Amino acid sequence: MRSMRTRTPFALALLVAVAALVAAGCGGGSSSDNNTGSAGSGKLAADQTITLAWGAEPPSLDPGLATDTTSSNVLLNIMDPLVKLDPKTLKPVPNLAESWDVNGANVTFHLRHDGKWTNGQPVTANDFVYSWLRTISPELGADYAYQFFGIKGASDYNSCDPKKSDCNALKAKVGISAPDKYTLKVQLVSPQPWFIQQVAHHSFLAVNRSAVEKWGEKWTQPGHIVTNGPFKLAVWKHDAEIDLAKWNGWRDAKDVKLTRVDGKIITDGTTAVQAFSAGEVDVNTTGIPPADLPRLKTEDTYQNYPALGTYYYGLNVKNVPLGERKALAFAIDRKEIIDNIAQADQVPATGFSPKGIPGFSTIDNTYLEPTADMAKAKELLAKTPNAKKHINLFVNDAPGHKEIAIAIQAAWKKLGIDVTLKQMEWAQFLEFLGPPPNKSVDAYRLGWIGDYVDDINFLELWTCKSGNNNTNYCNPKYDALIAKARATKDNGERQKVYAQAEDMLTGPNGDFPIIPIYWYTYVTQEAPSVKDSFNINLLDQFDLSKVKVVNG
Amino acid sequence: MTKFVIRRLLWTIPVLLLVILFTFLMMRQIKGNPFRKTERAVPASIQANLNRKFHLDDPWYVQYADYVKGVFTLDLGPSLVLRNQSVNDIVRSHFPVSLELGAYAFLFAIVVGIPLGMIAALRANKPADYGAMLIANVGFAVPSFLVATLLIYYFAVKWDVGVPTSGWDTWQSKILPSIALGFFPMAYFARLVRGTMLETLQQDYVRTAKAKGLRPQRVVGLHVLRNSLIPVVTAAGPLLGAVITGSFIIETIFAIPGIGRYYVNSVSARDYSVTMGLTILYAVIVIFGNLVVDILYGFLDPRTREART
Repeated sequence: MRSMRTRTPFALALLVAVAALVAAGCGGGSSSDNNTGSAGSGKLAADQTITLAWGAEPPSLDPGLATDTTSSNVLLNIMDPLVKLDPKTLKPVPNLAESWDVNGANVTFHLRHDGKWTNGQPVTANDFVYSWLRTISPELGADYAYQFFGIKGASDYNSCDPKKSDCNALKAKVGISAPDKYTLKVQLVSPQPWFIQQVAHHSFLAVNRSAVEKWGEKWTQPGHIVTNGPFKLAVWKHDAEIDLAKWNGWRDAKDVKLTRVDGKIITDGTTAVQAFSAGEVDVNTTGIPPADLPRLKTEDTYQNYPALGTYYYGLNVKNVPLGERKALAFAIDRKEIIDNIAQADQVPATGFSPKGIPGFSTIDNTYLEPTADMAKAKELLAKTPNAKKHINLFVNDAPGHKEIAIAIQAAWKKLGIDVTLKQMEWAQFLEFLGPPPNKSVDAYRLGWIGDYVDDINFLELWTCKSGNNNTNYCNPKYDALIAKARATKDNGERQKVYAQAEDMLTGPNGDFPIIPIYWYTYVTQEAPSVKDSFNINLLDQFDLSKVKVVNG
Repeated sequence: MTKFVIRRLLWTIPVLLLVILFTFLMMRQIKGNPFRKTERAVPASIQANLNRKFHLDDPWYVQYADYVKGVFTLDLGPSLVLRNQSVNDIVRSHFPVSLELGAYAFLFAIVVGIPLGMIAALRANKPADYGAMLIANVGFAVPSFLVATLLIYYFAVKWDVGVPTSGWDTWQSKILPSIALGFFPMAYFARLVRGTMLETLQQDYVRTAKAKGLRPQRVVGLHVLRNSLIPVVTAAGPLLGAVITGSFIIETIFAIPGIGRYYVNSVSARDYSVTMGLTILYAVIVIFGNLVVDILYGFLDPRTREART
């Protein structure tokens, strides 16, 4: 996930940032002429080609195996999802599925009849049955198989060991079937009102059975890959280039304006910024290093999108008592961290559920504030006799985290609490966090980016058995609330339960296993010719079939 | 000589086995889970499926034996992270790029570095020497990432002389990265040539040549340069290996699809098979690089040949 970590080792990134500063200092931050000018009248340009900087080499273009943002965005543009999410309301809108019925735990999708694969075969419900069972199967070893665990029998099938038993009986019990060519039936373990939205995730895309069976693990290569979306995978040079070309056989090809997307894979933010200012890319999705943000923010090409993600500090509740946890939360100046360190117009987080999640307005977010309240923090700490005077704070070594940790260290120091910073490389860092966390961990930084747009995806993190709960926090009352939310079908009612759960975390009587810092944003640079039509939604997805090039 | 070469080649087998064993054991010692790429926890059943798929649930000696078998049949296994690629695929598509980049950088280093060193030596303690040595010392001291960023900023963005900021496709795109990577070895050669040449210029045979009335160009070309280059050739072998294998930073800054990035990234991603495969590849390069230098050295200086037969 882009905003949370990059693979570039910290030292290198720092060095590059220093070098960029030097370069910027020498040149006075002039930008190229290629990208200036107004957004234009909206007249379509004759040449509908854009160049785009992808932020990473996709580890896999198999919908079952892809886990990162770049793979997801390539896939969502070359494949045809059953549903898409409305960019504004985030409600599911029909796509390949023209309609669906939800009857308690039973969901039925009705597919359009004009879906087609690039090899000429029609897209049918059987493709989805095959693909979903393949992703759930123990043999594929899909990281995202858990996305399907809400479906009856999926978890049992995934847990089967083919070496020890015959898994086909369990496979037959999975609640996915196709009563006819264009009807897809899904039986869930319980009613899940968010399931339709969840299906917009790339792991629910269909793969072409004949291509997969013919080429095996190499089916995703250009030339082998068979797709069914608005674009085709034209070129994939590993670590260098991913080009997409419009596919005229797609069912709604007449509405697609772009003829080609030439994509360069640029992992380094400074390099992407330079490629953009030299006019070599029209859209920079790699991102902008914090050192360059103040200079580039003022330009017209700078774009900023809200994200469904929360940057937070977790606290080991076995080590740090409640009063102190609250005091630590109040001592942090979120606004200052954003203005001076993170700098990408992130939003100060006064709760764990991110702004933009459906039902956000029902949450009372007024207890914590964007700025620090030192008086309150000191008062809370004074009432906590067993407060820990020395805190070990764990952060990973990707760019930016240490700087935020130092600011927080200084803030906590004002409370008389000494902080020892432990900076670690990512994989090792995760080992320390558990769960359960290593005993030496008092506080840690982490982020969470939603997979689908329902607050359950955020709030269930803090249940007792959650694999992502690194705080040792376990409150049966909280678990009961989450269980209640799961059982509440009505969106409005469920959101009220979410508001109660959020209150138990960060409200006046909250347990504060975590301290929210900010809600993420996605930062891009976009040339005026595509600026109006290129958009990124809350889940960091962009739909190239909606993009058009206009004359500047 | 043949006997020497054969013996050295046979020695590479136990060396490689040791390299594999040490890398294998060291990778086991560092904590981390190759299947946990983001902060998301990996559910137990999925972790078990992945361990089974990649045979990480076998005892370590079985894994080691399987791996060694793979290496000697030239199969370096699948990547644990890049799920549709094998280590062989990665080497095949990215190693040639690093090799090409390394070769150009090395060429730049020789073509610029040696004349620079010669000028400095022949005009010792004169403005030309100071100028040449200023360039060389800057190249020696300034790290490659800074050289790279400055080159991109001035040549590709500010003055826009027709070279792109990044990539590796047209010949124009190959100029800046080759210079950036070759800058340090260039400076190294310049300093080395200056030093050895100053020493050679004071040798008795040079004085004799001058006394015989040979023209200065001939003295320098025939006697001084030839004798000064022996240490340069000796240094060139290991340096070539370092240039080919050490291009991680340049590859990242210029978005070049070389193999240096895979080496570094595979360690942080705990992509065991990629780290192992590339370590073996580098071990082979270093072993053969040293072998070639040893052979060349034998030709240049027969005394060393005598000593080892």
